[in-house]
Amino acid sequence: MIRSITKRDGRVVLYDQNKIAAAILKAMEATGAGDASDAARVANAVQSDLEHRGPDQIPSIEMIQDTVERQLMNHGFGETAKAYILYRANRTRAREAGTSLMKTIDEITNIDARISDMKRDNANIDGNTAMGSMLQIGAAGAKAYNEMYLLRPEHAKAYREGDIHIHDFDFYSLTTTCCQIDILKLFHGGFSTGHGFLREPQGIQSYAALAAIAIQSNQNDQHGGQSIPNFDYGMAEGVAKTYRKTLIRMITEALEDKLDRDGLKDQVKELIQDVEQTLGVTARLENAPNFDKAVISMICAEFPIQPEAAGKLLTRARKRAYDSTDRETYQAMEGFVHNLNTMHSRAGAQTPFSSINYGTDTSPEGRMVIRNILLALDAGLGHGETCIFPIHIVKVKEGVNYNPGDPNYDLFRLSCKVSARRLFPNYVFLDSPFNLQYYKPGHPETEVATMGCRTRVMGNVYDPERQIAYSRGNLSFTSINLPRLALESQGDEKRFYQKLTEMMELVAQQLLDRFEIQASKHVYNYPFLMGQGVWLDSDKLNLQDNLREILKHGTLSIGFIGLAETLTALYGHHHGESPEMQEKGLQLVGFMRDFCDRKSQEMKMNFTLLATPAEGLSGRFIRMDQKRYGRISGITDREYYTNSFHIPVWYPISAYSKIQLEAPYHALCNAGHISYVELDGDTAKNVEAFEAVVRCMHDAGIGYGSINHPVDRDPVCGYVGVIGDVCPRCGRREGEMIDPKRVMELKKQYPEMPAFQGIE
Amino acid sequence: MSNVNENVNEKLGEGVGFERIRRITGYLVGTMDKWNDAKRAEERDRVKHGLSDND
Repeated sequence: MIRSITKRDGRVVLYDQNKIAAAILKAMEATGAGDASDAARVANAVQSDLEHRGPDQIPSIEMIQDTVERQLMNHGFGETAKAYILYRANRTRAREAGTSLMKTIDEITNIDARISDMKRDNANIDGNTAMGSMLQIGAAGAKAYNEMYLLRPEHAKAYREGDIHIHDFDFYSLTTTCCQIDILKLFHGGFSTGHGFLREPQGIQSYAALAAIAIQSNQNDQHGGQSIPNFDYGMAEGVAKTYRKTLIRMITEALEDKLDRDGLKDQVKELIQDVEQTLGVTARLENAPNFDKAVISMICAEFPIQPEAAGKLLTRARKRAYDSTDRETYQAMEGFVHNLNTMHSRAGAQTPFSSINYGTDTSPEGRMVIRNILLALDAGLGHGETCIFPIHIVKVKEGVNYNPGDPNYDLFRLSCKVSARRLFPNYVFLDSPFNLQYYKPGHPETEVATMGCRTRVMGNVYDPERQIAYSRGNLSFTSINLPRLALESQGDEKRFYQKLTEMMELVAQQLLDRFEIQASKHVYNYPFLMGQGVWLDSDKLNLQDNLREILKHGTLSIGFIGLAETLTALYGHHHGESPEMQEKGLQLVGFMRDFCDRKSQEMKMNFTLLATPAEGLSGRFIRMDQKRYGRISGITDREYYTNSFHIPVWYPISAYSKIQLEAPYHALCNAGHISYVELDGDTAKNVEAFEAVVRCMHDAGIGYGSINHPVDRDPVCGYVGVIGDVCPRCGRREGEMIDPKRVMELKKQYPEMPAFQGIE
Repeated sequence: MSNVNENVNEKLGEGVGFERIRRITGYLVGTMDKWNDAKRAEERDRVKHGLSDND
């Protein structure tokens, strides 16, 4: 006779046969077989089975469930038994997820981020702060829910076991990745942040402030970084407005001085307006002889002043207006950079991941913006610190800024000088054929712009008329663990490609499942991104409309990691080591690209291939693979898999060869790519050498490139550059104090030395 | 700043480390304390690329 049972947590409770019958009945109802009396019959059989097995034993829950499965089969309820087994497995998974969720939250709550690797998964979140921890707890809860309820079992398994990585999985049910914000369109007529309406800005200071607010607002509607594709073109309008206002003021003041009169402002304003209307142009930074001639004759007509004097007056006013606007632009750019480095979003735990693209606007106003944003970047923050945000990206184009004689060549040179000191700007190359195919002169929206991290959205299968960078972005991306596929194929190339195809099909399906969730959201879910018309065609929708159609302007991206380890596993060495392996590498990545292109045509949606930016992922796959396969030399013997198609960071190679080898992969990875070159500090300081590397990237057909070099700073004396053990400026070692007399000497020598010091 | 001696702490610099800025997945990070273990290892392993083809 069974009187009690042992529960999972070890407690002993009274046995109740009715509970068993109820569970069986539920499974029967779910499969449409059997009724209450059948359930009671099976439950009876379960009891006698249990008694038969051990009359004096106290059975466990697991034992009872095993018996139920067996007796269901015995009684001819095969389908019901299957449903019951599946139900049990799901419950087990839920229970385990629950336990591991509690463990995770426990770690977030109690362990210092310096010890907990999990809490440093995203270097932009400080896991030791209250809001940072809250964000991480929320993410952990969302992940547990999403895996249980939203993923198909096969996708959940692939994700859990590290065949694939679903990026930003905590946001699975909530939003999309990123968007290139067209600030010109946003500013025209003003916009609402969701927390208040802002009028159309009227000068460069407010243009710059609003650009920062736009980035912050959008950051709260999406889970990825945010970018402005047209920073120069956008800010140029602000510069023009500031210049026009300043010019009117300067002419007014000069006239008032000359004529010894007050209150001429309105009259001068009208005068300029009249000239503008007559000529059909506005007052601009650039010299405009016709415009000036008309202004001079109007001044002479309205005021007792000779043409020659009026001419001198206007020239002086123009010069002063130019200088004043230039200063104001610098301050605005400085403010913008400071803003983006200090503002917080997402529950206050993150500084927005932000990027700005610029470099091709050749108007005098655009050039003023480019020069000043570069100078602000070069100056650094309050104590000369290198700015972390935004990522600056210079668009490089022959005929615009690449060659001597190009209108913005001077600014390209300046950008090299700044990047050699501050690590930014990076460079996107519009002449590379896969970028050039979209380029239409006079249409900045056809210039490829990139998210700082590398995400690139240009081609548009859904709407081929709109192959533009503006107002579009990535919807979601999932990466494949390529080295594992190679390890499992055991050197069999054919088998590898079969597995790869299956895995890509699985990922494509998972991306489509996620798209279904995203597509059913409404405009009102994204008050800024969709409500303010930031995303392409969202301005044609009403608040209640769903997003299905317009989201198709975005991309679904399949990413990968570890090409180098994959080639090593399949053939013995990687693509940095021989031309044969380079060919194999290109074949492999080309295969993946073809898959994406086919899928795009089939679905009329933008499936693209991504050279994944792996932060958390770089260690996740390899840790799992080390457990499965052990440490295999050249494959699993490090703490990370090599990023995307990169030549391994530890492999000695010249900058030139690295660029040549990686460039062809840029053409294949249409969802985004980046190549890095690591220079030592001395080389980077040499601007000619730095520029030579950038030119090498351009000529090799790199899409997006960036040059790394050590940037250290001694906060005590303000030195920025390479610091080994000893600061080259003040001579102290890390943590050492410095003689106040020495500080005085240094201040004489380096007047720009910051005022800090000491207690930060 | 007029009088350095007034502004300067006697023990200026004591316990103050150097900042080392590095790039991670495209973004700069001010210090490496917030990096995860794998990325720290990757940063440690990075080798410099010379400019002549013999490097």
